[in-house]
Amino acid sequence: MSAQVYIFRIQRNMPGQVGTVQSHWQEYSVEAEPNTTILTLLEVIKGQQDGSLTFRQSCRSAICGSCAISISGRTRLACKTHVGAVARDGVVEIAPQKNQPILRDLAIDIRPFFARVHGIKPYLQEGPEKAGKVTSTAYDQVNHVTQCIMCACCYSECTMAEVNPDYIGPAALAKAFRFVSDPREGKKTERLRELSEPNGIWSCTRCTMCVDVCPKEVAPMEAIVKLRTRGLDKGYGDSAAAKHALAFHEDIVKSGQLNEFTLMMRTLGIFGSMKETAMALHLAKKGKIPSPFPHSIQGVEELRKIYASLERTPVDVETKAKQAVPE
Amino acid sequence: MKSHDLIIVGAGLSGMRAALEGVKAGIDVAVVTKVHPLRSHSCAAQGGINAAINPNDDWRVHAYDTVKGSDFIGDEDAIDLMCQEAPIIIHEMDQMGTPFSRNDNGDIAQRPFGGASFDRTCYAADRTGQVLLHTLWERLVHSGTHVYEECHVFKLVLAADGHVAGLVIYDIKTGELTTLRGKAVLLATGGYGRVFLSSTNATTNTGDGMAYALRAGAPLADMEFVQFHPTGLRTSGILVTEGARGEGGYLINADGERFMGRYAPKKWELASRDVVSRAEQTEILEGRGKDGAIFLDLRHLGRDKIIDRLPQIRILAMDLEGVDPIDEPIPVRPTVHYSMGGIRTDKYGAAPVPGLFAAGEAACVSVHGANRLGGNSLLDTIVFGKITGAHASKYAKTAKLHDFPADALGEVQERVRELKARPDRGVRPAALHHEMAESMNAWCGVYREVNGITTLADKFAGWRKEYERIHLDDKSPIFNVDLLRAIELRNLLDLGECIVKGALARTESRGAHFRIDYPNRDDANWRFHTLAFWDEGGQTIRLDREAVRTVGNPEYAPQVRTY
Repeated sequence: MSAQVYIFRIQRNMPGQVGTVQSHWQEYSVEAEPNTTILTLLEVIKGQQDGSLTFRQSCRSAICGSCAISISGRTRLACKTHVGAVARDGVVEIAPQKNQPILRDLAIDIRPFFARVHGIKPYLQEGPEKAGKVTSTAYDQVNHVTQCIMCACCYSECTMAEVNPDYIGPAALAKAFRFVSDPREGKKTERLRELSEPNGIWSCTRCTMCVDVCPKEVAPMEAIVKLRTRGLDKGYGDSAAAKHALAFHEDIVKSGQLNEFTLMMRTLGIFGSMKETAMALHLAKKGKIPSPFPHSIQGVEELRKIYASLERTPVDVETKAKQAVPE
Repeated sequence: MKSHDLIIVGAGLSGMRAALEGVKAGIDVAVVTKVHPLRSHSCAAQGGINAAINPNDDWRVHAYDTVKGSDFIGDEDAIDLMCQEAPIIIHEMDQMGTPFSRNDNGDIAQRPFGGASFDRTCYAADRTGQVLLHTLWERLVHSGTHVYEECHVFKLVLAADGHVAGLVIYDIKTGELTTLRGKAVLLATGGYGRVFLSSTNATTNTGDGMAYALRAGAPLADMEFVQFHPTGLRTSGILVTEGARGEGGYLINADGERFMGRYAPKKWELASRDVVSRAEQTEILEGRGKDGAIFLDLRHLGRDKIIDRLPQIRILAMDLEGVDPIDEPIPVRPTVHYSMGGIRTDKYGAAPVPGLFAAGEAACVSVHGANRLGGNSLLDTIVFGKITGAHASKYAKTAKLHDFPADALGEVQERVRELKARPDRGVRPAALHHEMAESMNAWCGVYREVNGITTLADKFAGWRKEYERIHLDDKSPIFNVDLLRAIELRNLLDLGECIVKGALARTESRGAHFRIDYPNRDDANWRFHTLAFWDEGGQTIRLDREAVRTVGNPEYAPQVRTY
């Protein structure tokens, strides 16, 4: 490895009139070995070339969560990203996190993100469901979630947050899972009820961006999926997304394939489906309306056995451990 | 003018634990912090927290280990108090929700740590600080305590009668300077690692609280005792937990020799940190290192144990040194890690300035003396966060607000205005900081001697002059980190001078302070705390000394310290 010159193309943001930000791109060149971190080089630029360049940083070791910024199109921790891994033709493009208001240059306003985390009541609560004894395996389920450092990389890249600012978001939901799964939590069921409300667990599209960008292997989407399962187990299946999931489940167990003809009605209900009549006619014209009587697939008996076995002994997809009983 | 009964500065483990005591006492408590609480450097503590929770262990043994670890200069009343409280606060943290690692029977797991005679260190894999910090933040959110987030303190203000009056704070988000009146102020601002160039510490660890207390007339104690952690990564200085050695890791030199047996024949890699750091430095100085480092070898632990117990360490080594510890030893070296010194307090965290309290690394209670044991700092932060928080709350309940000097705000406003108004000549703050920090590493490191320290001590007057000429590139009111670093740089200069003067004065070797020209401990002349005061007239540091607080326990009498 040898040193080379990199161009840092950095988005500079300065607050203008109330609520507006004036942006422009500024280039700096800096010489470095490819395994130098982006944060180190931002500090070199700030210390030696332009003291006005503004970004958050603190621990330098990927545990405080301060330095998440968009680097070459993806939100990452500057302190654990090597310049050589992200430069394209020697150029690194740097911008603030997405889906959040900008304060200045690369520093976003973190308050809206944390307001969402506060919204899920991020603390153990006293209540009837609190268990007396913590077992040795009690945290196998939540270990990955407690690694979260609230850097907001996931929120920055969340495709649902981009279109729905009211969505609680992956980090807050992963935090919620941590409490639902903790034997010491007293209000697990109440949490599941609240999380099943609009803008909660059923708003996630499972695009997996949050899993992909997380620098701490928290896998927020895995937590969201588990919250859904537990919510359904408690009978919180009223939302369209939950009904949709249940309809899938019902069909696969029954025949091994979807009954797409009735799927929409089971998801949106009769009145909801009527609103989609125009779309249905359009599909019919193109010959896309499936048969209302799908055949069972070959080997459906085997499939049912797999289902039955999983219902008896659920396996955690993340840890491959047997499901810790949430109560 | 806004006011609170108790204002806590800093939202790490000490600050947040103290705030919960304020809530419990029913007073109006607020927290001021320059970073969001979860960004506080407590999160970087990895290995664990000591407590005699095993029925076969005893807090008295923990206390003795700590007295010995301190090289017999820790205050014995505070050490006894901390070790007695330890099992209680572990239980409390567990109840609050900390996901400690557990044994098969569900009990909290414990691992061996340096300088300890029992496997006493409770942990959560290798991210104990992070889970403790998140737990206390959860309780703080639950309590509804008001937190001034991303607000920097620029001055600790005293009333004309010398009692604490409050603070001048700077909202980083808006650039607004305001005053905050308080009946009591508790400083929990952590350490000053950035005084040195190579450090395990965050860039935000600038010892602000210590510096403000010093300028307000409070003494700092034992500043010459700076802990060098034996295993900072070679390039960045980032911490590799002592838990790596606790789990069985070896230290080897470039020849592959496991060398600690020559320095600490009983405890090997688990001797106390000062002993291990000196051994490493000797290996490096005598040519048995490689590129200024020796190696932490975990290979024999095996893949499963490394991934289970030290997952974060493995990732850090891969990300920052390009080494997977499963296959290769990690290059490490002694690196500035912790400040045993700090704001001098009694065992309840009260400083000699009325209305002023301090806890955690910012304080010198002193439970660590000349050398802190691994696993005792997380313990210190939570125990004394709790104790000091309770005492400060009790104090604030009956105290009154003192008159806030009319000119305090204007004086700080003028300082900020003047810094920003300087023409773009002279050096940037980063350049002056680099020069000072590099010199500190060079002449005030693991080994010290009179010529180096004297050279260093003589530089401070020049650096202070240089400081008056630094200029800021950033004139903006919004998130002006350039300004913050300029303000912090004066704090670092003040603290650096305390460290150097203390190191020059202390003509003995004790704990982390090793003088080549005075290689022995000198109990007759030096079993004292060093006190450092700010001399406003001379714009420099003045030293004094104070006796160690003893409890009359014959077992605590100084003896030869071997591991």
